[in-house]
Amino acid sequence: MSIKENTRRTISFYMMVSPWLIIFVSLSLVPLLYGLFLSFTNYRGFNIDNLRFVGLDNYKLVLTDNDAMPALRRTLLFALVNVPLGSAIAFLLAMLLNNNARGTGIYRTIFYLPSIIPIITTILLFKNILFNTNGGILNTILNLFGIGSVNWLGYSWAPVALLLLMNWGAGGGILIYLAGLQGIASEYYESASIDGANALQKFWHITTPLMTPTIFFNMLMGIIGSLQIYMQPILLTGEELLARPIRPIYFYNVHAFQQIFNGQRFSYGMAALWVLFVVILFISIVVFVTRKYWVYSEVEN
Amino acid sequence: MTKRRKRPVRAGRVFLYLSLLSFSFIFLFPLYLAIVNSLQGWYSVPTVLPDTWNWSNYYYATTMIDFWRYTRNSLIISSISVITTTLSSGMVGYAFARLKAPGKNALFMLVISTMMVPGIVTQIPTYVLFNQLNLLNTFWPWFLWGIGGSAFYIFMYRQFFVTIPVELEEAARIDGCSYFRIYWNIFLPISKPLVATAMILIFHGSWNDVTGPFMYLKEQRYPLATALSMIGYKELGSNITINQISIAGGLLLAIPVIVTFFVGQKNITQGIATTGIKG
Repeated sequence: MSIKENTRRTISFYMMVSPWLIIFVSLSLVPLLYGLFLSFTNYRGFNIDNLRFVGLDNYKLVLTDNDAMPALRRTLLFALVNVPLGSAIAFLLAMLLNNNARGTGIYRTIFYLPSIIPIITTILLFKNILFNTNGGILNTILNLFGIGSVNWLGYSWAPVALLLLMNWGAGGGILIYLAGLQGIASEYYESASIDGANALQKFWHITTPLMTPTIFFNMLMGIIGSLQIYMQPILLTGEELLARPIRPIYFYNVHAFQQIFNGQRFSYGMAALWVLFVVILFISIVVFVTRKYWVYSEVEN
Repeated sequence: MTKRRKRPVRAGRVFLYLSLLSFSFIFLFPLYLAIVNSLQGWYSVPTVLPDTWNWSNYYYATTMIDFWRYTRNSLIISSISVITTTLSSGMVGYAFARLKAPGKNALFMLVISTMMVPGIVTQIPTYVLFNQLNLLNTFWPWFLWGIGGSAFYIFMYRQFFVTIPVELEEAARIDGCSYFRIYWNIFLPISKPLVATAMILIFHGSWNDVTGPFMYLKEQRYPLATALSMIGYKELGSNITINQISIAGGLLLAIPVIVTFFVGQKNITQGIATTGIKG
């Protein structure tokens, strides 16, 4: 191919990716750095023309005040339970669907359906009908088994309620797991059967290792998502987005979001969000680095 | 031999169907409860079995708040997002899949890595920027985000376009077609199932978004999802939310999402499976 053709192709390439590139730079990269800049100032929403540099003051506050770090610990703890639980449920459901049972298509639709229901609809449904302390259905069911009622949205149970709410939609992950399961060559199972392996051994020595790349990806995305939760905890106990949730579900992003939109503490909020960004980056790197110890790869390097 | 081998297999099957049925029950029961309770009397205690059938709750759900205005806002925002994001992501995905250029791989890594940046870290400074540009309380931000495409869909299109045989575009190149026309006249039409998937998923994302519009818009321009989370269904002068009507409103919000899901279900499941990921 001629040099001219190559140049034309390069120009076409850059022209065609330019909408993405321009918007990425102006509405992602610039805001990202602008946010970093604001986190070193005293910006409070009205003094944009009169900013003063405060050095690391906002970061010091984030690291030492009574809200941010306890909220971060709480969020990490919640993610530590929520992410494996959600992945395990999706994996289990995909395993069930991968058996050529009659009506698999219908079951797949049923498992997937809750994940597409608007979050706000799910919250209203769980809060008002299932978790309601006045005749809520979950308590009715507990009472049926002779177990006393539980204050689902109170201090002790709110994190559990949040877990239930979030994992009702765990079926959203089944499609990826199903694709992964269907990608496993049947020869592996056949030769294992000839060697006399039982179902459990096949699961543990074939399915699980071959599914680790999918599990890895899902876990990573799950962690990134879980650390950013703020809407569900706020609306689970509050009536609108500026209502402060009770302490056990007062998560890190709830804090950052409400400090900004309720307290006009923009620079503090930006510092808090950058701390979160670094934490997420750090965790992602750790997960990536540990990948070689537990994620199966066809290419040995 | 047959006797000894058959029994565990059959027990396994019974267990399989029991599990499938129990999980179906767990996932469907809350939806059933939502429908039943949306029809009960105001302020009544939640119930499993329907007492009454107050269809008027749905009428009140659309009249007690400015329901149709919020719905119109939802439609405006979703239409802007769906059209711009689909076409732009497709074009960028095409360029990454079919065109060679220096710096392409590095740029593609950049696209992928943006999927890992927490949305809220850029959303808040963007709010400050839009404030200075007087773009707050307008629908322009959704247009701008849309023409920038979305990393997930760029990736999805790219994965599909790389599998298309090269002969298809070579003939067009010889005829002197520009790369944009090849994308527009050849690649886009043959990827209709993927376009449909992208459109439906983008629609779900923007229709369900609560917090984005909350940050950038004022109440008058709230879409329905945001309105339902900020404005409760209350009687005049009361500050107790009527749960039954809230649920009715929530279900009305879910209808377009559920309908489009069922329309495009086959494409969606295949689309996500080929990409291997979901954002």
